[in-house]
Amino acid sequence: MDLVLQLLFTGIGIGAVYALVALGFVLIFRATNVVNFAQGEFSMVAAYLMVVCVELGLPYWLSFVIALAGMALLGVIFNLGVYYPLRHRTYLPVIIATIGASILLSNSVLAIYGPQPQVLQGWFDTPGIQLGPVYLDSQYLLIIGVTILLVLFNFWFFEKTLLGKKLQATSQDKEMASLLGISVSTMIMITFIYSAVLGGLAGILVAPVLFVSIQMGSTIALKAFAATIIGGFGDVAGAIVGGLALGVIETFGAAYISVPYKDGFAFLVLIAFLVFRPQGIFGERVAEKA
Amino acid sequence: MPLLEIRNLVVRYGEIEALRGVTIAVEQGQVVTLLGANGAGKSTTLRAISGLAKPASGDILFDGHSIAGLGPEAIVRLGISHVPEGRRVFPGLTVKENIMLGASNRKVSASQISREADAMFDLFPDIRAFSNALGWTLSGGQLQMVAVARGLMAKPRLLLLDEPSLGLAPVIVQAVFRIISQIRKDTTVLLVEQNARMGLSVADHGFVLETGRIVLGGKPDELWGNEAIAAAYLGSHAKSHA
Repeated sequence: MDLVLQLLFTGIGIGAVYALVALGFVLIFRATNVVNFAQGEFSMVAAYLMVVCVELGLPYWLSFVIALAGMALLGVIFNLGVYYPLRHRTYLPVIIATIGASILLSNSVLAIYGPQPQVLQGWFDTPGIQLGPVYLDSQYLLIIGVTILLVLFNFWFFEKTLLGKKLQATSQDKEMASLLGISVSTMIMITFIYSAVLGGLAGILVAPVLFVSIQMGSTIALKAFAATIIGGFGDVAGAIVGGLALGVIETFGAAYISVPYKDGFAFLVLIAFLVFRPQGIFGERVAEKA
Repeated sequence: MPLLEIRNLVVRYGEIEALRGVTIAVEQGQVVTLLGANGAGKSTTLRAISGLAKPASGDILFDGHSIAGLGPEAIVRLGISHVPEGRRVFPGLTVKENIMLGASNRKVSASQISREADAMFDLFPDIRAFSNALGWTLSGGQLQMVAVARGLMAKPRLLLLDEPSLGLAPVIVQAVFRIISQIRKDTTVLLVEQNARMGLSVADHGFVLETGRIVLGGKPDELWGNEAIAAAYLGSHAKSHA
């Protein structure tokens, strides 16, 4: 039982990272109808920005702010360079452009920093606290806490503010939104900035738990992508639940079945969903697309 | 000077010439109805005015200034609100949210917009009870009410209404037209209708479009009086009006 609780804690912690990246996938998909295959690289770039700032001797919190500001800027550049020129084309050229951007980002970091994985220390000096039978790692506590805050923020932003409603309207019917005077290009810009910051946040939070490497982005993104499908593609709640579920499943799979096959469990679950419930846990609300 | 003046407007979709030189004028305070068969270019005319379709040649003057080639976001800020064909109510937003977003062309606070949206239900009492219902759950008539209410939230000087009666039961069509006759007190309306009888009943002036050209224009009485037009567009019973 103690082990179960311990694994649950770790699983939710790692699942929260997938959830943040999955949320970025979903928001961009809803706004542009395109899967952004560079979403994982947002996490990787942010982690490297963090490493650079910390190595420069900046305080951790300042590095954190700079890395996130850098991600907001990357969101702007990404939108203007990758999505905007192709916005009137079909989804295929845009998807290929995001794959191209993903390759460009990882190779740029590789060229600058080399292939050696980097280590980023955690935010807290205390490694963790013992709560009864469960050891709560401080970095996982931070990940879970930040994710809870972000999910609440996301709900408030999209459901309670007029700007959130305009973003939703844009994702549901761009032409109608423009007829009402909503600036569609501004809404899409906001979406890219927000998604890049979400992805970056996930990367910064998970970096002390994993190594900071060129490949970390694609690993996280694949899991997050699986999470969005498990949750129900295009569904915000689905992305969060899917991400958490995937984190828990792979942690338990690693503990009870096989550690080397840890990454395989996520995709096994993905395949099971694609075969038996392709619309995901929450299903695609077909009516919403009508 | 007319509020809206369209001169020799040509709009092409690829090779197809949807409008081949349309000229119409809408005076301030009027309701003008555009009649015509499917594919005659009625919706295209409205789409060109609101900036969704780009004119190939010709000009569109609003209040004396050319708006041809401006984007829809700029045009709605000038005071032209387009309620497009098919209502296009946002399915995942509530009725009230849909109506509130109609004010996106104006710089007003969210609380002010919320009050104005509440006031809009006085004009549309039938949808008041569905204020918190999501768009996709509504019936055709309710969607039309929401679409018109949302269009009015822009506080337009010119309201473009595309086929508001399409697919609605006769009793609902009457309700929609009662609202149009109320709106006309404050707003100039350019109405596209396939239901010629209803469309002309509220109009000061009518135009008949045929394959991208205006073939006839006049007061509703004159249109009813033209036998060829009456037979073609206004239905066989039209003769009794003449």
